[in-house]
Amino acid sequence: MAGLTQAIAAPGPRRIELQSVLCTVVLALVALCVVFPIVLVVLQSFQVAAPGQPAAYGLDGWRAALGEPGLRAALVNTFTVTVVRQLLSLPLAVLIAWLLARTDLPGRSWIEFGFWAAFFLPSFTVTLSWVLLLDPDYGLVNALVAKLPFVGKGPFNIYSFWGIVWVHVITGSLTVKVILLTPAFRNMNASFEEASRVAGGSTLRTALRITVPVMAPVILSVLLLGTMVSLQTFEVEQVLGLPFRFFVFSTMIYDLLITRVPRYDAATALAVLVLAAMLPLVLGQQRLTRGRRYTTVTGQFQNQPHRLGRWRAPASAFVLALVLIVLGVPVVFALLGTFMRLFGFFSIADPWTLDNWKTVLGDDQFLGSLRNTLVLAVGTAAVTVVVHSLIAYIAVRTRYAGRRLLDFISWLPFTVPGIILGLALLWLFLGVNFLRPLYGTTALLIIAGVISGMPLGVQVIKSGLMQLGGELEEASRIAGASWWTTYRRIVLRLMAPTLMAVAMITFVGAARNISNFALLSTSANRPLSILQLDYVAERKFEEAVVVACIIMLISLAGALFARLLGLRGSSVG
Amino acid sequence: MDRASLEVRRGEVFTLLGPSGCGKTTTLRLVAGLERPDAGEITLRGRMVASVPRRVFLAPNLRNLGMVFQSYAIWPHMTVFENIAYPLTLRGVKRGVIRDKVERVLGLVGLEGLEARAATLLSGGQMQRLALCRALVYEPDLLLLDEPFSNLDAKLREQMRIELKLLQRRLGITVLFVTHDQIEALSLSDRIAVMQRGRVEQVGPPRSLYEHPASGFVRDFLGQTVILPGRVAKLAPGEPSAAVTVELNGALIGSTLAGRGAPGALLSAGANAHVAIRPEDIEVMPDDHPWPDGHALTGVIEALLFVGDRYEARVALGGEHSILLLVSRAREWREGQRLRLAFPPEMVSVWPA
Repeated sequence: MAGLTQAIAAPGPRRIELQSVLCTVVLALVALCVVFPIVLVVLQSFQVAAPGQPAAYGLDGWRAALGEPGLRAALVNTFTVTVVRQLLSLPLAVLIAWLLARTDLPGRSWIEFGFWAAFFLPSFTVTLSWVLLLDPDYGLVNALVAKLPFVGKGPFNIYSFWGIVWVHVITGSLTVKVILLTPAFRNMNASFEEASRVAGGSTLRTALRITVPVMAPVILSVLLLGTMVSLQTFEVEQVLGLPFRFFVFSTMIYDLLITRVPRYDAATALAVLVLAAMLPLVLGQQRLTRGRRYTTVTGQFQNQPHRLGRWRAPASAFVLALVLIVLGVPVVFALLGTFMRLFGFFSIADPWTLDNWKTVLGDDQFLGSLRNTLVLAVGTAAVTVVVHSLIAYIAVRTRYAGRRLLDFISWLPFTVPGIILGLALLWLFLGVNFLRPLYGTTALLIIAGVISGMPLGVQVIKSGLMQLGGELEEASRIAGASWWTTYRRIVLRLMAPTLMAVAMITFVGAARNISNFALLSTSANRPLSILQLDYVAERKFEEAVVVACIIMLISLAGALFARLLGLRGSSVG
Repeated sequence: MDRASLEVRRGEVFTLLGPSGCGKTTTLRLVAGLERPDAGEITLRGRMVASVPRRVFLAPNLRNLGMVFQSYAIWPHMTVFENIAYPLTLRGVKRGVIRDKVERVLGLVGLEGLEARAATLLSGGQMQRLALCRALVYEPDLLLLDEPFSNLDAKLREQMRIELKLLQRRLGITVLFVTHDQIEALSLSDRIAVMQRGRVEQVGPPRSLYEHPASGFVRDFLGQTVILPGRVAKLAPGEPSAAVTVELNGALIGSTLAGRGAPGALLSAGANAHVAIRPEDIEVMPDDHPWPDGHALTGVIEALLFVGDRYEARVALGGEHSILLLVSRAREWREGQRLRLAFPPEMVSVWPA
């Protein structure tokens, strides 16, 4: 109905028309940047001619993706790693979230911040830290264990399936779940639990029989999100998997693309398979979040925390140990690593040096990359806030006919592996004449960053808008404000804390993003994240870890800033 | 919304009353311009603001309406002053004038001196007054109230009801009021439209709706009704509000009650019918009290609840029916006591079953 009536020229509603024109422009731009690349990827998977040759279509790529043992193994690996990651991290995350949100665990707000900060750690940096500890030959933990009697050699090997799973669980999988689940657990109406306690349920019984089932939709939503993120991973496998020829599909795609004769057909066919696997997850996630009722949580009910009693000390020790593992160890060892003469070798004579910092800081490449990263991160954050808030606003608040479509499209970047999104954007920007000048500029990387952050950014802003309640805007319209005035003076002002938080998350995301930029960056626009990858490719681990450390410090600063804003935000609402 | 035609007169409080989901809020939002109609027209003071056949739709900000929302929709990032000044600023009013107007309107509702207070620090009642100030300060052509009292506690609700009525009388402003609470509707309105499933059931002044409901829905929605089934025994012909005699059936068989036919009801002798009366119109007396036959029933108090200003008595009539009556505390009552219940014919209406 809305679509039809809006097309009709009426004397009064000029501004309504402006709104619908704006919506269409946004939809068109987003479709160009998201849907078009995906279409290109699908088409390309049937294009079998070698690069530079006239186009020819066939099924070779698909045959390779489904038939070649190496490629099939990559798919199996992806699936196995994803499932194991989720199985290990979900129960742990639910337990921690419950401890942080519903019990009297000492220092819980600091511990929550610890997980929050850990979430911002670049997984590349974390991976390098754990290499220092768990390298089969030189790793510090292995060296210590080997000193024990009757142990010949340290038992741990980071370059293994379980090594990869370990790093994943303690980087993305666990922290992201904890920081998403804890606020949700905290906002749960305590009367459900209180009713159970009054009815005679113990703390444990109440948690298992009431709290977790009540939270099931949120937990499921976090699980779906975690699975989608798992399917995307790149850096960890790139560093840890390559030495023992363990590929997941994203590293396999990268491998297929960076060889001398890139196999676009097989790489894109793999990407299409992933896309097909992701679509049901996206639809499920969309359904879950659409059905959820967002009621603004007021201070009406008091959340009396459960007393842990004699479990308080062990629970506290357990959670603190986890914070140490997810945050302390990576930060300390990444910093230590930067001062090592030979990365990973603690046992050589005189292992410590400042030369790595001197080399990197004196390198012109580094300074250029640092500038690129800062421009890129600030630019991505700024563009993200504008674009994502517009998308979220259209999806949540307007009657625009294409709002559902726009909402769906905003989820799609999740389905495309970062490497492939980079590749598709490369084709888009090299293939379309008027876009070609952007190639090699930071603007291109900003576009990639905005697109890859879209599912998260739009969701966060959407849920903020839903909590805002539409009546605040309607009151402004009735009071005589146009749509645009209302958007400026009411919506943006009230959403400012959320938008700043999104900007910070995007800033950090852009600073550490590797997979989206790996194929898009050139020597002219290379950011730090790609510089560290290049150092690794040249086996210059000492320089790589210095760059990784700098990215980590930028990220942690962002985490701190976002947290401060977030705290202020919650007190405003 | 389906085939509703309503007209609000200048200076009156017009109420849309109905159960939730009856379309009353939708009607209000159509008037406000927050929803677009699929068909029909809306005019405001002779100005066409929405018309599907003429393809007119005026945006809400161009309609010069005031509205108080159920949630009050007080902007949390503004002070009390800024909330009220906002619509004036949009209308290009000069700063000095804005200050005067804000001060005056705050004085009207007793919030003077709170200008600089952050809007989020107000109590529920203060927020509601602030919302009212914000909607009144620019003298809108029509004030829309969407369940404005539903978030207040009972005491405050009563107080705000009276304050609003006084304010409306003083300012002479036209009000379109939406509520599901019959007491609010009856006490505040000049006229009420009772709505059900997107249709208007009846429009009229509160008292005439209460005393002469045009349909079973209106009768049951407004106030309490005691309904007893029976069969028409006798119709007094010729008279429009003719006396109808009904023989009750079931456990009350053998008793007859008399009343007037419901408006527009087609009754014929021998047809099934319902006898309806407001419980407060039933005269309750001890059993030994004499009463002419045909207008009374006997009952037994099953349960007696003291509620402060009176008793609530659940009275069994025969074996099947129980009715809830409010009885004065001026007399002594006890459970198990036999009663004589008189049904004055002028208060009884007879409806086709």
